[in-house]
Amino acid sequence: MAAEVVMPKLGLAMKEGTVSTWNKKVGDSVSKGDMIASINSEKIEMEIEAPQDGVILDILVQEDVGVPPGTIICYVGNPNEQLTEQSRSANELQAPKNEVAATISLEEPPVNATPSKKSKETVRISPIAKKIAESENINIETIKGTGPKGRITKADVEKVLTERASEASYSPSEIDTSSIKKETLPVAGMRKVIAGRMHNSLLNSAQLTINMKADVTDLLSLQREIKDVIHQRHEVKISLTDFIARAVVLSLQEHKQMNSAYMDNEIHLYHHIHLGMAVALENGLVVLVMQHAEKMSLVELAAEIKTRAADARQGQLGTDRMQGSTFTITNLGAYGVEYFTPVLNPPETGILGVGATEDVPIYKGDELQRRSVLPLSLTFDHRVLDGAPAANFLGTIKQYLEQPILLLL
Amino acid sequence: MKPLVVIGGGPAGYVAAITAARQGKQVTLIEQKDLGGTCLNEGCMPTKSLLASAEAYEKIKQAEQFGITLPLEQVKINWDGVQHHKTTIVKKLVQGIGYLMKKNKIKVMKGEASFLTNHRLAVQNENQVEEVEAEQFIIASGSEPASLPFAPFDGKWIIHSGQAMSLPAIPSSLLIVGGGVIGCEFASIYSQMGAKVTIVEAADQLLPGEDADIAFTLQEELEKKGVAIYTSASLTEMQPEYKTALFKHKEELHELQVDYALISIGRKPRVLGLGLEKIGVHFSKQGIDVNEHMQTNVPNIYACGDVVGGIQLAHVAFHEGTVAALDACGKDKNVNYRAVPRCIYTHPEIASVGMTEKQARQEYGDVRIGEFSFTANGKAMITNEPIGKVKVIVEPQFNEIIGLSIIGSHATELIGQGTVMLHGELTTDVMEDFIAAHPTLSEAIHEALLHSAGQAVHS
Ligand SMILES: Cc1cc2nc3c(=O)[nH]c(=O)nc-3n(C[C@H](O)[C@H](O)[C@H](O)COP(=O)(O)OP(=O)(O)OC[C@H]3O[C@@H](n4cnc5c(N)ncnc54)[C@H](O)[C@@H]3O)c2cc1C
Repeated sequence: MAAEVVMPKLGLAMKEGTVSTWNKKVGDSVSKGDMIASINSEKIEMEIEAPQDGVILDILVQEDVGVPPGTIICYVGNPNEQLTEQSRSANELQAPKNEVAATISLEEPPVNATPSKKSKETVRISPIAKKIAESENINIETIKGTGPKGRITKADVEKVLTERASEASYSPSEIDTSSIKKETLPVAGMRKVIAGRMHNSLLNSAQLTINMKADVTDLLSLQREIKDVIHQRHEVKISLTDFIARAVVLSLQEHKQMNSAYMDNEIHLYHHIHLGMAVALENGLVVLVMQHAEKMSLVELAAEIKTRAADARQGQLGTDRMQGSTFTITNLGAYGVEYFTPVLNPPETGILGVGATEDVPIYKGDELQRRSVLPLSLTFDHRVLDGAPAANFLGTIKQYLEQPILLLL
Repeated sequence: MKPLVVIGGGPAGYVAAITAARQGKQVTLIEQKDLGGTCLNEGCMPTKSLLASAEAYEKIKQAEQFGITLPLEQVKINWDGVQHHKTTIVKKLVQGIGYLMKKNKIKVMKGEASFLTNHRLAVQNENQVEEVEAEQFIIASGSEPASLPFAPFDGKWIIHSGQAMSLPAIPSSLLIVGGGVIGCEFASIYSQMGAKVTIVEAADQLLPGEDADIAFTLQEELEKKGVAIYTSASLTEMQPEYKTALFKHKEELHELQVDYALISIGRKPRVLGLGLEKIGVHFSKQGIDVNEHMQTNVPNIYACGDVVGGIQLAHVAFHEGTVAALDACGKDKNVNYRAVPRCIYTHPEIASVGMTEKQARQEYGDVRIGEFSFTANGKAMITNEPIGKVKVIVEPQFNEIIGLSIIGSHATELIGQGTVMLHGELTTDVMEDFIAAHPTLSEAIHEALLHSAGQAVHS
């Protein structure tokens, strides 16, 4: 029997998921575990695998069109298997029976499918328009019908196809007016969320960035000293990032104003620290959240960061692990960036940008030494606190990093 | 609502007037001749009436085959009777339009209208001129027969279609210049009534817009009735004084003496004399320019029907008239030419919708063709009309039905099924389980569809 592959629900808050790419088309054969599509939700990108061996019998959701979780996105079955009307109309029903959620482990089980606004069965569409739409993977629910009573005609589908083609190719008028070629990409899925959030962040807060450098020479030697022991005992490779995270947690405990949010003209101070950490993915970025980081030792925090980051890269991060951070760290050190201006992750008050360590000659007393310095950039919301307390907070981080033994306590 | 004036009382005009009146407009319709236009008075209806008489005669002559014995030598056409049948019908239909005008409170003015400004018309009736003002106008002035430059209509020997249907007697010989729809219909009528008909057509087939094999079947049938057909032929000279025409066919010059020479080489939109140039409405010899709402470049002026060129058929005129009127009443209506049936009331009849095979091959390359001949259809045999076939053209990728042509008895009625298929954008699989009543001619359509999918049962 044909298996239905549904849009997974990645966390309770997920309202919509989008197939960003179909790796297979109707008629392609697949083996269990083959990547058949990439999907993205508001938060995350992930791959969908074939639930069983067979062929792709039908694709019901077009690329870049958002559908609610639980919506059947494709069928995998035997090559000559006929999809019954019943199985086709399953998208209308709640919780399809033989639903095989994409073979990934989910933080939460898929909840009942929300019926889409305009279900496929009730869309007025001519038989030929339907066939073309199906073969071209156009979601008929998204087509505007111009026939009698809004019936979708062949011309309507063809219009979508031409629009698609012109979106994908260079616009001739642009070529006419200049020799510069442009490409337009849809702002959808994760990109859309990031775009919206970052823009709002800058629009709705008073951001100010200050910079400081910390001498992490001792920290790096401490790391070298203890990393093998820690790895043996706890199976965690401890990194500079983990030390920084711990330094931030300790500093936040001392500077409560920085562990806060500006909401509805009120400043909310948090007693817990849910440490956010931005992680770049291939197509965007997510913020991992280490909940109650204040209760974790350096090693525990390091382990938590490693697990969450791996989940995120595999697209297995639950939305609860991406929400509720109280302060965020973002690290561009790996890209050789020194100082930069991090943008606040609203409604948080602060975000720490971490640059690349650099070995520089520094006078220690009268002696010139080779030291490793770490550039730090702190962006904070000036509505919540002023420059001096922010500088004090950053100074505390610096102190912790420069006296790394404190981080182990 | 503001007043609206319709110029022309043909299919486009009277339908526009009724539609606008039903939307609550105060409507005036101006017609210089009789209500009903070309269609009722000189086109669709009178020709079909003549054809019905010719066919009845044909059928009666077959009486023996149905087991009816008649003194066949006494069966004759009474031309006055034929004309009477025609005029009675036309009169009734024209009265019917008059009644519809009254019922919808449309003021009908007699006279020839021409624009003074884009809100004012002069209406000339004999020597009187009246001015009419309105907010909006719908031009539906129709078309008139095109003439040959070297052979203007004289109404005596060189005649047009309007004159050809009211001849004093059945001509003994008739030359038809132009083997299009009108030419072939007259060839059918008069050849069945006993006239010696000759068709001279410039294109390489009769009915140049239709499938070659269908047109060829008609040619064979007409030839069986004694019609001489010259395709790829051109008229070179007309000598009214000798009632003689000269034409060239395959490098050979032919000379033909006939009672009448009917020129049916097309119809030209009636754009002159309306004062369009005065008010800046764009038009050419091909007709008045309109957008998809039938609106001209002057926003308060619409045009529809034969006067805009395009497909010059009464049912297209009805549709365009409706669109023009609704849009003028603020309904934002577009024309829909998705599936326009084309009917030719010859004997046998021809009807088609969508693409011809040639057009389809140009557009899609390879296409699937399904055919079914009426010789294998029970109903056609019973009625002794086994001539013709149904031909369906199917696009190969999705099996969309893109064209249907029928030649044979009742083709013009059967084509309604094809119109629905094309309008509904149906694919052949939708039609596979379709049940056609038995015995009917409709079965041939179903069989042709099955044939296109390689599943025909009866062939
Ligand atoms: C012989 C023949 C057979 C035909 N058979 C068929 C058929 O079987 N099926 C089919 O669909 N179509 C047929 N047609 C075509 C059909 O008749 C036309 O397409 C249809 O009549 C067009 O309608 P109309 O309203 O645009 O124009 P018309 O019917 O031409 O009406 C225009 C009217 O406007 C009037 N008028 C023009 N100018 C003015 C003015 N300035 N002031 C006042 N009044 C004016 C004219 O007197 C006329 O009455 C046939 C045509 C001919 C000639």
